[in-house]
Amino acid sequence: MAESVASRDVVIEGLVKVFEGGVRAVDDVSLTIPEGEFVTLLGPSGCGKTTTLNCVAGLERPDAGRIAVGTSVLTNVARGVILEPERRDLGMVFQSYALWPHMNVFDNLAFGLRRRKVPRAEIAPRIKATLELVELAGLDRRYPYQLSGGQQQRVALARAVVAQPRVLLLDEPLSNLDAKVRERARFWLRDLQRRLGITAIYVTHDQAEALAISDRIAVMSQGRVLQYAPPSDVYERPTSRFVAEFIGRSSFLRGVVVGATEGRMQVKLADSGTVVSAASTGARLAAGDPVVLAVRSERIDVHGEHASENVVSARIKSFVYAGAEYEYIFETPEGELRASSPRPVTGPTLKLHLPAEAIVVLADEAPTRG
Amino acid sequence: MRSFDRPAQWLLAVLLTALVAVPLAPILYQSVLSDRLYEPAKAFTLGNYALVLRNGEFWTTVTTTVIFVIATTALSVLLGITFAILLTRTDVPARGLLHDLVILPFYVSPLVLAFAWAILYGPSGFATIGARTLGLPTWQLYTVVGISVVSAVYYVPYSYLYATGSLALTDPQLEDAGRIAGAGPFRTLFSITLPLLRPAVAYGTLLTIVSAIELLSIPLVLGQPVGVEVLSTFLYATGTKSSPNDYGIVAAVSVMMLAVITVLVWLQIRVTGQERRFVTVGGKAIRGRVVALGRVRWLVAGMLWLYILAAVALPLLGIFAQSATSFLTPLVNPLELLTSENFTLIFTQPAYVDSIRNSLVISVVGGGIAVLFIAFAVLVTTRSDFPLRGALSYVALYPRAVPGIIIGIGFLWTLLLIPGLGEIRNTLVVLTLAFIVRFLPLGFGAVMPSVLRISTELDRAARVSGASWLTTMWAILVPLLRPALASAFVLLFVSFLKEYASALFLVAHGSEVIGTTMIELWRQGNSGPVAALSAIQLLITFFAIVIGQRVLGARLRG
Repeated sequence: MAESVASRDVVIEGLVKVFEGGVRAVDDVSLTIPEGEFVTLLGPSGCGKTTTLNCVAGLERPDAGRIAVGTSVLTNVARGVILEPERRDLGMVFQSYALWPHMNVFDNLAFGLRRRKVPRAEIAPRIKATLELVELAGLDRRYPYQLSGGQQQRVALARAVVAQPRVLLLDEPLSNLDAKVRERARFWLRDLQRRLGITAIYVTHDQAEALAISDRIAVMSQGRVLQYAPPSDVYERPTSRFVAEFIGRSSFLRGVVVGATEGRMQVKLADSGTVVSAASTGARLAAGDPVVLAVRSERIDVHGEHASENVVSARIKSFVYAGAEYEYIFETPEGELRASSPRPVTGPTLKLHLPAEAIVVLADEAPTRG
Repeated sequence: MRSFDRPAQWLLAVLLTALVAVPLAPILYQSVLSDRLYEPAKAFTLGNYALVLRNGEFWTTVTTTVIFVIATTALSVLLGITFAILLTRTDVPARGLLHDLVILPFYVSPLVLAFAWAILYGPSGFATIGARTLGLPTWQLYTVVGISVVSAVYYVPYSYLYATGSLALTDPQLEDAGRIAGAGPFRTLFSITLPLLRPAVAYGTLLTIVSAIELLSIPLVLGQPVGVEVLSTFLYATGTKSSPNDYGIVAAVSVMMLAVITVLVWLQIRVTGQERRFVTVGGKAIRGRVVALGRVRWLVAGMLWLYILAAVALPLLGIFAQSATSFLTPLVNPLELLTSENFTLIFTQPAYVDSIRNSLVISVVGGGIAVLFIAFAVLVTTRSDFPLRGALSYVALYPRAVPGIIIGIGFLWTLLLIPGLGEIRNTLVVLTLAFIVRFLPLGFGAVMPSVLRISTELDRAARVSGASWLTTMWAILVPLLRPALASAFVLLFVSFLKEYASALFLVAHGSEVIGTTMIELWRQGNSGPVAALSAIQLLITFFAIVIGQRVLGARLRG
């Protein structure tokens, strides 16, 4: 471990958590979260994202691994170091907000300040400033049950940051909000984190939220991190079929590599034998390797009659009108393809153009299935 | 086709109201009469109240009752809450077993618990003699303090169960948030966990107060020999005298007790309403985190086991030891005094055999009728558009405010008052009715949550498919409620089996139940046969619970 840790990066190494019954909820997770960044753990339920977060918080005891913030070690299972949650100097926003119902807003915020021995005279001004930051000035005497869901969520955030912790942990904090409020809260939360310059670890199963809000996303499945990269990379260059399927809307075509030329890869589609070229993703693939092509729905050109390559003939199978666009399912010789278009297409048969840049080539993980 | 829905609902409403009114009406009536209610020459008067309120003895009894109730409640709530916290939030070893043992007194008749303590800790009890022989300091069980301690042991499960229920429902993230904010486990306990328990504590406290006010058995067994009298034993003693004056006094005291308990029960309902404030946005269902106590957990476990052994296990063992010996004393090896004559006596005297048979018949048949009746009543109050359904649920829950002994007196007086009803006097029919009234609220409470958990969309789907309300209840709700009804049946079986207070004024030769026979035998000073009968009752209870859980799939939580 020779990396320099002069900063206050959060470093997670080899984290393992096994639940009763032998389920490896977290299976060898290693992540470095640079100071001041907003990192999201994204995945379906049961992928281990919340367990990972709870291990960082000290609420779960991992079975192996090390967690540190800069030079300060929070957990080192090998050395028997597992700091109690109250000694980690973290802030956390819970899914249920966990506002203490028997305390008003002021006392909810003051609790942590008192525990951290903040001088009495400083407490009220700091709470006032923090409540202003979350646009709740003047509500300090209200009880949680007297607040709306959105206000409760902001009080929970204020409580998490009022003591200026080293790291802010957020466990699906927006999932209890209405759709409209939730979209506004994303901007607002991101903005607040930037202003405070605080390192944030955010857990969600909502891919749109993760893309909108993060500096980096760790996509998790079955206790493992499959890809850890900035949102645009995760979206444009997924490294596995799982990531491509989980984020955005894609269709998958099976084929075999037939050749590679300067940044391009030629793939023969399994069903029709058509050769298409794709932008190479750097995956180590050679001629003869079975591959899966992931094609983003919104990148498919449904008016592809005049394209020179990568043209597939298709029939409209069904479509729905979704307001901003029309969503189609096409029948093609390669199987079903999903595509969307802002304008309706005239069918029933037509030509689809799959631009090389819209195609991601992935090693075929399950060669027996399409 | 005419629907039978509304007539059926009205029938239930009338039956339920009549059942609850039967024991209450004659008491209110008698309290303002100058002579016994069935005498022709009587006048309206407030003299009974004046007589009671001017009586110095009455005020002594009231004072004793207040001290007894406060001491019992304080001790049982303190212990119940402490046990709940230790057994749900710390890593004390063998928590599951300790949990079962802490709530054990809930299934034991308080009468049996009183005998058990008397056999072990009474003036000539096994432990008392043992301590005296060893030159250790001894104690006085037959005092207000002694009575309160035994009663507290009996009521610990009440606040314990409310507290554990509340702890299980509390969002564990509230405590996690405390830890993240920098509070250690103890600070979190005192600043967050305990304040959140306030509604449960308030509810458990009021429930214990209400129950302790009406508790008859423990003060009767441990207090009467030395003249310590509380209101319930006063009613029993005065009621059995039956001079014209005593009828009025019993009625007036009963009405005053009812008034006080009604206020307390009303407060209890208010507290339940307050709980809304403590409900938070639901998070993921995860268990509360357990605090590691380190080595202290062995000390804590030791203290818990000490309580279990001294307060519950050894006294109950004492019952079995006494039942199998001619004389239980530490001075002689009990194995030399082994005898079966206590059981022989119970099983050869027709009166005693009758009481066991009667108890079983009432528990099985009466319990079964009660479950069906209660289920129907719950469905009318929660799942119908019956216009009086709100009021009806209050009627069904009101008997919680009526002491068992008053239910017994009320039923007796109704039988005396209404000509023609004398036929069923001293029969198991009237005992069953009295027991049903007594345990209406318990059964209601056992069935209601399960009904509320079933989505009303299931009813609507059935109605839209063409079913009447009655068919919907019978074909959809009742089958879904089967496990809940099985649990309620076991609960009522056990309650009916250990009931004695409402039976005292209603039994006669041939219709005794186990509880009344035990009191009669205890009065005669026969602790051996009392212990044998207690042992029999405990064994029946034990097997009922085991069979209930295994065969009926009942889930008992109290």
